[in-house]
Order: sequence, then structure tokens, then C-alpha cells
Amino acid sequence: MKAKFSEYLNGIAPFMKKLISDLSGHYDYVSVLCTDTTGFSVSISQKSKAVGNSTMFTERGNVVRVYKDGLYSEYAFDHFAEDTLCETIRETLDRQLRLLKATGTEVYHTGKLSDEPCTVFAEMETEILPENADLSALVDELSSISDEAVKTGENVVECMVRGSSTHVSKMFLTANRDMRQSYVYSEGMVIPIVMKDGKNELSTAGVSGRKGPEIFRELRNRLKDTVKTANEVLNADAIEPGEYEIITSPEVTGLIAHEAFGHGVEMDMFVKNRALGAEYINKRVGSDLVTMHEGALCAEEVSSYAFDDEGNPASDTVEIDHGILRTGICDALSALRLGTKPTGNGKRQAFDHKVYTRMTNTVFETGTDSVEDMIASVKHGYLLAGMKSGMEDPKHWGIQCIIERGYEIKEGKLTGKVCAPIVMTGYVPDLLNSVSMAGTDSRVFGNGACGKGHKEWVKVSDGGPYLKAKARLG
Amino acid sequence: MIDWIVKCLKESSADAWEITDRKITGWEFYFIGHRLDQNRARDVENIGVKVYRKFDSFLGSAGTDIPVTASKEEVKEKIELLLEEAVLVRNPVYELNFPKNTETEKNTLPDLGTIAKDYIEVMKSIDETEGEYINSCELFAESHKVRYMNSNGIDVTSCYPSSLAEVVVNARNEAHEIELYRMYKSGTCDREYLKREIEETMRFGKDRLHTEKTPNLGSFDVVFSTDASLQLYEFFISRMSTNMIYRQFSDWQIGKPVAEFSGKDRLTIMARKSLPNSSKNCAFDAEGAPVRDLVVIEDGVARNYTGPRQYGQYLGLEDTFIPGNFEVKGGSESEEDLRKGSFIEVVEFSDFQTDEITGNIAGEIRLAYLHENGTVRAVSGGSVSGTMFDFAKTMRFSNTQKQYDNRIVPAVTRLCGVTVTGA
Repeated sequence: MKAKFSEYLNGIAPFMKKLISDLSGHYDYVSVLCTDTTGFSVSISQKSKAVGNSTMFTERGNVVRVYKDGLYSEYAFDHFAEDTLCETIRETLDRQLRLLKATGTEVYHTGKLSDEPCTVFAEMETEILPENADLSALVDELSSISDEAVKTGENVVECMVRGSSTHVSKMFLTANRDMRQSYVYSEGMVIPIVMKDGKNELSTAGVSGRKGPEIFRELRNRLKDTVKTANEVLNADAIEPGEYEIITSPEVTGLIAHEAFGHGVEMDMFVKNRALGAEYINKRVGSDLVTMHEGALCAEEVSSYAFDDEGNPASDTVEIDHGILRTGICDALSALRLGTKPTGNGKRQAFDHKVYTRMTNTVFETGTDSVEDMIASVKHGYLLAGMKSGMEDPKHWGIQCIIERGYEIKEGKLTGKVCAPIVMTGYVPDLLNSVSMAGTDSRVFGNGACGKGHKEWVKVSDGGPYLKAKARLG
Repeated sequence: MIDWIVKCLKESSADAWEITDRKITGWEFYFIGHRLDQNRARDVENIGVKVYRKFDSFLGSAGTDIPVTASKEEVKEKIELLLEEAVLVRNPVYELNFPKNTETEKNTLPDLGTIAKDYIEVMKSIDETEGEYINSCELFAESHKVRYMNSNGIDVTSCYPSSLAEVVVNARNEAHEIELYRMYKSGTCDREYLKREIEETMRFGKDRLHTEKTPNLGSFDVVFSTDASLQLYEFFISRMSTNMIYRQFSDWQIGKPVAEFSGKDRLTIMARKSLPNSSKNCAFDAEGAPVRDLVVIEDGVARNYTGPRQYGQYLGLEDTFIPGNFEVKGGSESEEDLRKGSFIEVVEFSDFQTDEITGNIAGEIRLAYLHENGTVRAVSGGSVSGTMFDFAKTMRFSNTQKQYDNRIVPAVTRLCGVTVTGA
């Protein structure tokens, strides 16, 4: 079934085209991004249940981008009066310009965006649309999973089960472009909480994809293993700090991809001289086994679209090719400033937020090794699994990954000892250059949201195969 | 629009309902160095609606956002859908808030131009050098007008400013260049505070250029004197929430100590109706309850839970609310006392975190000062870890306080026996 494009957006398109025409009398470039994103969320636990017809990313609104005298300005709005909107936008932005003039503010001059003709109408395939979902059956299913966890799971005192499904419709218009897309993505999580001797721990497992609510059928299959890992964490020891051989599970591999050379090659950071990566293009940053892709086209996940929030087509960018950093990802304005081409990575948290260069799907390529061979090759180290959080440092290439648990390996065998939590830190090129084996199977994960600094949350996914490397753990 | 939504709700089969209408106007200025990258303006309205239905001794609810551009028919359809969905969930019955006599608030919208001008001028006034400079900044000035209504007759409105400066400070020498990231959130622009903080960050930047690798210190005392302290105290605040208590993620009981304190001082935490220039000085909470001053933890003993009314009622509490501001009282020791002996003072983490359920703390060290054997060395790399359940017993905090937007906490906090992993 096709994800149907918003009737509301189709309805306002003629007015928005007229607005572009009216504003074009005053500005050298005008674009409008209009969004109408709907969805639902269900959250079930033993103690509380909630249903809502919204998700973190549901919205309806518009943003106008204008350009004059080397400066880009934007005006975001949801309600509007057709007869006065053009004037309101001009007056508001002119007031800002008067303030900037009064404070003696200099403009970072930028060239004018091209406006090559382009027409896109993409309604992507989905098995079930969120608006057609049987929420009653879904509430029953998620409740049943939560109940099963508490009834049968060792030490389980609570189990949260969540599902949300989002139907995105976006329309990008300029004088020469009319681009419309509609797609659905969904994500679900099961989070058992275990308690023993007054100590609480939890573990999480998720499902995600550019799919409809049918994806929640997979959630129950994740329960048993997640309860097991929660108990492993509950009974875990603290790790002896030090440098170890590590094997990263696909989830941890994805976290490294995201934090190491995801944020590190967002090229708006190149413009600001905030990323060391700018100095390492065509230089070695990892071992031959490290090839990394980034783009809305390189996976069918939660950030897989046809065009970005600036009307640039999605792509699959090879950032690192066999250890050599080849390129970064770029929004449209940063591309103008750097003299390169946009890669379709200009994203907004919402219609009323600014565009930044953002990740979409960031994935390490697979290799030829089996997990068994990797384990057998480790003298003393850990198999790292479960992702808690991460933080980047593009300017200094430090990396922080908080990992749920580590399974000890000694003399090529898992000892049964589990340590948790694990803080993995280090210098990104050291970590990537130490990659010595890569697995054959790859998985991609799209739960949660990614911030830039500590704000601007967007959907991303990341993943890859099992990797063997060396890292400092604490 | 709001009148139409109220009419639809009143004519519906909802047993209760609530509406939150939030209007935000904002001015934003993005700078690369001191040159303007982009200017933006926002004029948006978010309308949240939640309906409740009672059935079989349960209460069901469903919520949604209604676009301000929705047609009358669309609003009706959305409410009808909510009524169908509300019966899908079964929660124990609870009542929404009722109107209370509260002070009449002056509903004056802040002037965005003034707030923005203050920020722009402060950023221009920073004393930069060849080695330490402003890399980039993003300045946000917002005016919030929030109206909350429910079926019990509450109809309250509050207006307040909210602003944010995201500042990236760089420091460089011949060998390399580093950056420090800061986010300053507040009501309006506090010019003196912002200038002072940014200039201190520049000093940190200069020191970070000359760091050694953090040695493996094992179990060591760690001093917190920057905004990472907030995470330590957030652990106590969140574990006193009705949400955490009812869901048994926290077992802290009223009248009992929240930890086996063995240090000189015991924690006192207050919910505050307002704090100077906080961005959370709204007169009522998200459920329409008036916010007020309230003792949460007193001398280490749990006194009052705060948090959502639903869970408060399940716990038999009638008067809970969700505070926007908190104050943690200072202790008896001076900052100098807390900086005696051997310790590591971490002033820059990658992302320091405390898990409110497990109590685990973790963070990568970007800049710290290692005080050992009478010497002080700037170090970076490695990490700190451990659990607040252990640290709470012996934590020490200064008699001085520092405000970070909607939190006032002791200016300096010392945790004993933290695991410090080397770089």
C-alpha cells in the first residue's frame, strides 16, 4: 500500500506557490517547506497505559527561506492569514535586520542557491498505514508482552513496551521545484526492569524501520533475550579498567559509526572549522576493513526519504573507503560555502527548526569473518553488547560510548563473566585503525533520536557487522 | 479554534478533558565567529488535547495535538477518534485538578528584540585573544504564552520568556586546536553572568591545550564544579517523583532517610515556585496545578513527593504538582575545604550522565585538574564511573550555591571513591 500524500498539503500548495511568487519580488531566492506528519504512539507498562495520536515528530507547519544580499533568513509558521502573510514575513525579517544593523553585525556572505527545475512525487510502500492500524489489537498485544515479562521473567518487576508509527508528508516548493513525498516509519521497544536485593537494572531491545505498524509483530520475539540480558546486567561485575581486545555487536558497531565518523564529517562543522575531519580527506583514518556508508538511500530505515528538507535528493555516500576518509555529508548552504555538492543530508528537527547537516543511516560495510572466529582470536577482552548512549568530539576526535554490558573472553572463549556498564573511550583513528576483523552479517538500528550538541533531535539509524578492535574500557 | 475545541469536547461523551495551548514566538540568530550565518523567526501554536472516559471502574485516556490550521470538521473527527481510543487503556481512576485560588499573574509578553539585542551585544563584548576565541554561537529569544483548561473549570494563562545561547569556544596553539561546548538557558539574557561564564570557559580552553593523559586513578575523589553537578542532584529529584515511586523504580519513603549519610551535611532539596530569571517560571504545571515552594528532601529525609497528579493520587496524595524549579541547599563546608587533599576536579565532560533508575554515573573526561601530592596538573581522557547509591552516603557539598537556569545547586560537590579510568 502506498503512503498517501497529505490532502492538506495538496490543498495549500497553490497558495504557497503564490506566496513564493509574491516574495520573489523582494528576495532573490525563496523556498517553502510544508509538513503534515501524523502518527500514533502506544505506551504500556504494568502501572500505566497511554495512547496518543501523536509522536515526537508529528507536526503541521511551514517554513519560508529567503535570500538577499548574501544572507539567508527564515520564517516558520503554522497559522496564517493568506492576505497578510507575505507582508508579515517581510516586516518580521526587516525588524530583525534593523536590529542586526543597530548592533553592527556583519553578514557571513553566502552565494545564491541554484533552483534547477525538479518535480518529485513519491508515495513509498508500506504494509499498514498508521491511520489504519488496529490500536485495540496493538494495545492488547503490547499489554500481553508486558504481562508475560512480569509473570515469567526472572526478577522482572515491570516491563515497559512501546510502539509508535509516524506518517510523514513533506512538500518542498520553489519557483522551479515541486517536490512531494510521503512515507511511514515505525519503532517499538521492550524494556524489562529487574530488581534484586534493592538494586534495579533494565535492558532494552527495539525494532524499527521504514515500515508500518506491522513491525510490532517482532517485539514479542525480543522479550526473552531482553529479560536475560537485564538479569545479566543485574548480576554483573564492574570491569577492571584498561585497554582490551573488543568485539562489538552490530548495535555497538552502529554507535561507533554514529559517534566516530557520523558527526565528525557533518560538513556544516567544516564551515565552522569545528571538525578535524576536514584536514583528513583522502587520508587514512581506519584499517582496510573500515568502509562506512551514510545516506537516506543506504538502508530502508527510519531516516530513508526521497529528498531532504532543502529539496535535495537522497544519496548513499561512501565516507570511508577501506580506511581512507573520502568525503563528508553536506546540507545545501554548507555545500555552497565549501564549493561542493549537497548530499541530501539537510534535516530539521521540525518545520520551525533550522536546517543542519545531519546523519540519516550510517552503516559499516560487512567483512568475511565469523563471530566464532573473532571470539577464538581474543586472548583477553570483551564482547560488547547493548547501547546506552554516545557522544562525539569532532574537533578532537575523542569518543565516548556507554555500553550496556561486556561478556569477558579469555584465551578464545567466553568465560561467562559479565561486566556492566562499560564506558568505552578513546581516539577515533586509534579505534578504527585497530579494526582487525569484520563479520558477515549486518544489522541496522533506528530507535531513539540523535541530537546535535545537546539539541535538534532527529531520527537516524546506524549499524553494521560484528567488528574486532582494541579499545579502552572503564 | 480553542472555543470550537471546547464546544466539541463539552458536547462529546468525554467524562473529562484538558487542553494545553502553547503559543511561541521566537527570534533566532546564528553566528559563525562574529558573522551572521542566518536569522530566523518563529510564530507557532501547539494545541494539545486529552480526553478521559470512565468505564468498568477504570479511567481511559487518549491525547493528540490538533493543528491550529485544522478545519472544524477535522477537529470533530480527531476528538471522536480520541474518544474511541480512550477506552483502549485501563488505568485506575484519578481526578484532574480543580481550580484553586492563586495569585493573579501579570500576563505581559517579553520583548524579543530586547532579549536578542542583549545576547548579540554580550557576544560582541567577549574579550578574545589569538589563542582563545568564539568559534560560533546560536542565540534564541522566545516568548511563551501558555493556556491550560480542563473540564473541572481550570482556565489559566501564563506568559514568560525563555532564551538560550549555545556557544562554542575554541582554543589553539601551534600544535593543535580544541573546542569547548556550552549551552546557557535562562529566562532573558543575564549579560554579566553570560560574559563571566564564557570567559571562564576560555580559560578552561587554554588549559586543555596543555593537558597530560589522565592516569588510571582507580578509586578516587572527584570534584564537580560545573553544570555536570546538575546530574548528581537530578538523581535525588527524580527519585522523589510520584512517577518513580508509584512505578517502584524508587523505594524512598516519606519520613525516612534517602541514603545512609555519613558526611558532615545532609541534603535539603526544595521545589521552587520561581527562581530569578529561570526559563521555567510558569505559574502552573502541565496539568494546571499551581506551583509553589515545597520541601522535597530535608536534612537527608524524604518529606514530599512531587510529580504527575495521576501517580500522586494513586499514592493517596491530593496535592502534588510538577515543579519547574528546584533548589538544593548548600552545606557547611567552604569550596576551599572541598578542594583539600588529593582529588580530580573535572570541569569538562563529553556528556556526563546519571541513570535515575540504576544510579550509575558515567562520563568521558575532556578536561580535569588533578590535585595530587601538592601539585596540580591539567589532564584529559579516560572516564569516571560508579553508582550514586554508593556516593550519596559520603557526598560533600559547598556552602556556596550556583544557579543553572531552573536549578540552584551547591557550587562545588565532592564524591568519594569514584572509579577513574585513565586515558
